[in-house]
Amino acid sequence: MSTQPNGHRPVNRFAADDSDVIVVIGSGAGGGTLANELCQKGAKVVLIEAGKHHQPEDFINDEWASLNQLAWLGERTTSGSWRIAEGFPNLPAWTCKAVGGTTVHWAGCCPRFKEWEFRIRSEHGPIDGASLLDWPIGLSDLEPYYDKAEDRMGVTRTNGIPAPPANNNFKVMGNGARRVGYKGVSTGRMAFNTVPRDGRPATIQDGFNYQGDKQRAHWSTLTAEIPKAEKTGRLDLRPESMAIRIEHDESGKVTGVVYVDAEGNLQRQKARVVCVACNAIETARLLLNSASSLFPDGLANSSGQVGRNYMRHVTGAVFATFDKPVRMYRGETMAGIVTDESRNDPGRGFVGGYYLQLHSLGVPFLATFLSPRAWGRDFAQIMEQYDHMAGMWLVGEDMPQENNRVTLNRDVHDQFGQPVPNVHVDNHPNDTAMREHAYAAGESVYDAVAATRTFRVPPYPTSHNLGTARMSARPEDGVVNEFGRAHDVPNLFVSDGSVMTTGAAANPTLTIVALALRQADHIEQQLKAGAL
Amino acid sequence: MYPHDALPDDVYARVGEKLAEAAREDSSAARTIEDGVSALNGGRPFTELSADEQLETLKGIEGSDFFELVRSTTVVEVYSDQRTWQLVGYEGPSFGKGGYINRGFDDLDWLPDPEAAS
Repeated sequence: MSTQPNGHRPVNRFAADDSDVIVVIGSGAGGGTLANELCQKGAKVVLIEAGKHHQPEDFINDEWASLNQLAWLGERTTSGSWRIAEGFPNLPAWTCKAVGGTTVHWAGCCPRFKEWEFRIRSEHGPIDGASLLDWPIGLSDLEPYYDKAEDRMGVTRTNGIPAPPANNNFKVMGNGARRVGYKGVSTGRMAFNTVPRDGRPATIQDGFNYQGDKQRAHWSTLTAEIPKAEKTGRLDLRPESMAIRIEHDESGKVTGVVYVDAEGNLQRQKARVVCVACNAIETARLLLNSASSLFPDGLANSSGQVGRNYMRHVTGAVFATFDKPVRMYRGETMAGIVTDESRNDPGRGFVGGYYLQLHSLGVPFLATFLSPRAWGRDFAQIMEQYDHMAGMWLVGEDMPQENNRVTLNRDVHDQFGQPVPNVHVDNHPNDTAMREHAYAAGESVYDAVAATRTFRVPPYPTSHNLGTARMSARPEDGVVNEFGRAHDVPNLFVSDGSVMTTGAAANPTLTIVALALRQADHIEQQLKAGAL
Repeated sequence: MYPHDALPDDVYARVGEKLAEAAREDSSAARTIEDGVSALNGGRPFTELSADEQLETLKGIEGSDFFELVRSTTVVEVYSDQRTWQLVGYEGPSFGKGGYINRGFDDLDWLPDPEAAS
């Protein structure tokens, strides 16, 4: 079902009692890609999405207006020692509620995981306070799918796609990085078109990435995957539909999904297979809210791991002012990377690696995020340096912890009467040590090109939300197996970043897409074998 | 709270309008503002204080609900105003102007292209 220009809602393509369909909940990197791939393979797919079906021309080149258009603003609560809990207590995560999910506001960085990042636990042994576990798969299992993902996403520097050109902000970061001796300095592997490709045009360097790409140069499931799925005639997209419960039969197999449609009516869609891809916080919430007498602690939660091991990367930002103008806001926001610190070198005082990545904010968001709650003349004078400012983002591996978790807050309910998620995060000492190292590295880069002042910016509400339904070889250690299939429920899959056993340093979207493609092959093979 | 001497007073007056709007829409915000303003004027009226005294008074209430409501409203309003953007050198929406591909996305000339320089 898609909304027509005349406002008519056409009838659903597949009937509510059609128990032959695959229901995918969530249309972002995982769900949108999986839905398309399954449609291409001949399956009938109902794609349930809580957000609206905006088109690129509707996106807004204004940070606050765009946030209100695209962000998931459903109520959430927070607890723990992380700085978000204090600065942005109702907005722990910056993800999207829209067809296309968070791919809509994604800047496009596509590093692959490294071989050792799939097995941090065996690389380092146990680490106090960390619930580390090796992935049940390794890089070699994922490599063919990385190849496939990079091709369909049009990642620069792969498949003969030209590198992005250096923009103003990158000239500052890149030269600074060279001067301090970093070698892995480039404009990066990015999922936006530097030349027209796959029916989408090249970037016009308009500088608005987090607000949705009006040009459609960026890969997103909204502009690349879902239109292709619709062409097969086998996709039934239902926007503005909020899944609230997954149902099962007496044998413990799932039978369908209950959701609230755009008119506020309760609907029930039958399903042969259900795939959950609601981003780590809502995926855990939906499984927990689907508790029943057979699954008293939540669906697929016999391990007690649903909602636990929530990861959001070690992040932070460094901005710096210079004597001469930079105009960091012009051009592709994140087209620049320094990879040297992504190595594994415990000699630095922490395990795991991190990247320095190009990054800018417009004036409205910079004022809010540069130093949350700061005010006064000094702050105003810093803001007056805006066009002389350069910026970078820091992103690295964080430690999974058993008690960093999504739980249901039974004291607070949403408009559908469902308990809202509480997100609890305490920083791990490894995270703190890495962040400090990364801040110092970022500052040294800017000092090397004569920054007049540098600023350590605390983590924003994060867009990388991982680990709340992790993969494990053994059912007692996690929620899903190597294909994202629930250990407890044979026809239930998790298809987003929730499945990541550990988070690596890389931005997760490329890996989420690769995992979704691998899962689609598995589902196809299992359907053919009569096992689903 | 966010003083830019070059900005017209109207930029700041809009913050007051926004707060009045918040008070009309939300009775708890209205109470916070009412209580906060009367506390501010508890001694000599706030508007009769010198700039330094006003600053000290604000520091004294930093972190209170009233202060945070006013501060968070001010930071959003002042830095979303196009007059502020012009002052600090931000060009705002760009898509309608063709982005920056032909308008200087790479016009920084005081450093070389870092990849070419390697």
